[in-house]
Amino acid sequence: TSRFRRAKQEPNVNIPGVSRAQGVASAGELRALAESCKERDSGRRQVDAALPLDILTYEEKTLSAILRICSSGLVKLWSSLTLLGSYKGKKCAFRVIQVSPFLLALSGNSRELVLD
Amino acid sequence: MATLRRLREVPRHLLVCEKSNFGHDKSRHRHLVETHYHNYRVSFLIPECGILSKELKNLVMETGPYYFVKNLPLHELITHEFINTFVKKGSCYALTYHTNIDEDNTVALLPNGKLILSLDKDTYEETGLQGRPSQYSGRKIMKFIVSIDLMDLSLNLDSKKYERVSWSFKEKKPLKFDFLLAWHHTGAEESRMMSYFSSYGIQERQPRVALSTASELQCPVLRSGELGGAPGAACSAPELLDWLGAVFSNAQLNNEPNNFVSTYCCPQPSTVVAKAYLCTITGFIVPEKIRLLLEQLCRYFDEPKLAPWVTLSVQGFADSPVSWRENEHGFRKGGEHLYNFVIFNNQDYWLQMAVGANDDCPP
Repeated sequence: TSRFRRAKQEPNVNIPGVSRAQGVASAGELRALAESCKERDSGRRQVDAALPLDILTYEEKTLSAILRICSSGLVKLWSSLTLLGSYKGKKCAFRVIQVSPFLLALSGNSRELVLD
Repeated sequence: MATLRRLREVPRHLLVCEKSNFGHDKSRHRHLVETHYHNYRVSFLIPECGILSKELKNLVMETGPYYFVKNLPLHELITHEFINTFVKKGSCYALTYHTNIDEDNTVALLPNGKLILSLDKDTYEETGLQGRPSQYSGRKIMKFIVSIDLMDLSLNLDSKKYERVSWSFKEKKPLKFDFLLAWHHTGAEESRMMSYFSSYGIQERQPRVALSTASELQCPVLRSGELGGAPGAACSAPELLDWLGAVFSNAQLNNEPNNFVSTYCCPQPSTVVAKAYLCTITGFIVPEKIRLLLEQLCRYFDEPKLAPWVTLSVQGFADSPVSWRENEHGFRKGGEHLYNFVIFNNQDYWLQMAVGANDDCPP
């Protein structure tokens, strides 16, 4: 059975700041990072933090990833990542590039067309 | 409390799936391809294919050119000469480059001669032109849409209407934009655009083509008659669309349900194909070229092939002021408007059209 409603959201997240620190070495670390910032922001309600989150892709070269979250968790995830300022003591920043319920829409971004 | 609830809401989106057959008289595939004007990314996937046929390869390499011109004054698009040379003789497309539809002034030219301006409140008032508020305005109207029919204007260049538009663009509020241009026409005048706008430093560009093959690819099993899938026998259209997105994003398709990183996996039932051909074309691509690609992909099954189906996906420019026809398009959270064909070996097809929150239902 599907764990998500049909309206699932798939934000695409870029994390350039972390490259100045040690960097997130793997998709696994990114997943742990995302879980920890959700936990932190939901305060004492640990049960809230248990939102099913998938790291669909993670590219070390560009330090960008595609995350998948159910629609009810989108705002929480997006705000948690935006407010995250440091990881393992080093400063970092997340930048959300694209958000869409359609994964196919994330495979191309017309705002990234560079001609000059 | 209402504000908090509204902030937590996720904007709605729409996915329309329909099925038909290319042989049907009433099939709408041509109309839907031709009225989706500003296309950024076209990609197709052919299972059980390692080499592209010569015809397909040629079509892929000939999807361009398109043109890029910086600081083009808007009044150049309403001159008698421009309308007669390009708008009336073929299909002329234009879209402002690097303008965000939700923030900046944006202009688009449609092949039917309609010039669509999406302007912020101040600019709209300064142009002095007649328009209407954006459909997706909230309580405060931030954007106005002005639609100018160039075909209608060109019928009588001495009309008050033409004088007003001309005065607005030349004197009242001269606007300049960087434009993406394309012109589809029959005839051998290849570099007409280049010579016409040579004084503005127009550049010709070719779309970028990326070709690759995937090996041992898990593909969903589909049945052309079962758009919603059949439990245990075939996957549904939305599942197919997700899977296609995963393939083109290079996501892992075979994660275990208890995998810590990702639980996404190929929808079941699925088969593994030895190889699949993937092609992605990005640029400013005209619908006429997409139609040719679609027709060629239909002809893929003229000879017996192992593949049960092929897909063709098209993504529109997120910052175009229109999605299909003259339906207003807004960005909201993603600005997506895309469609996907699944072409079956019996000439049946599925067509999925997807739009975001600030869009009308696809036609």
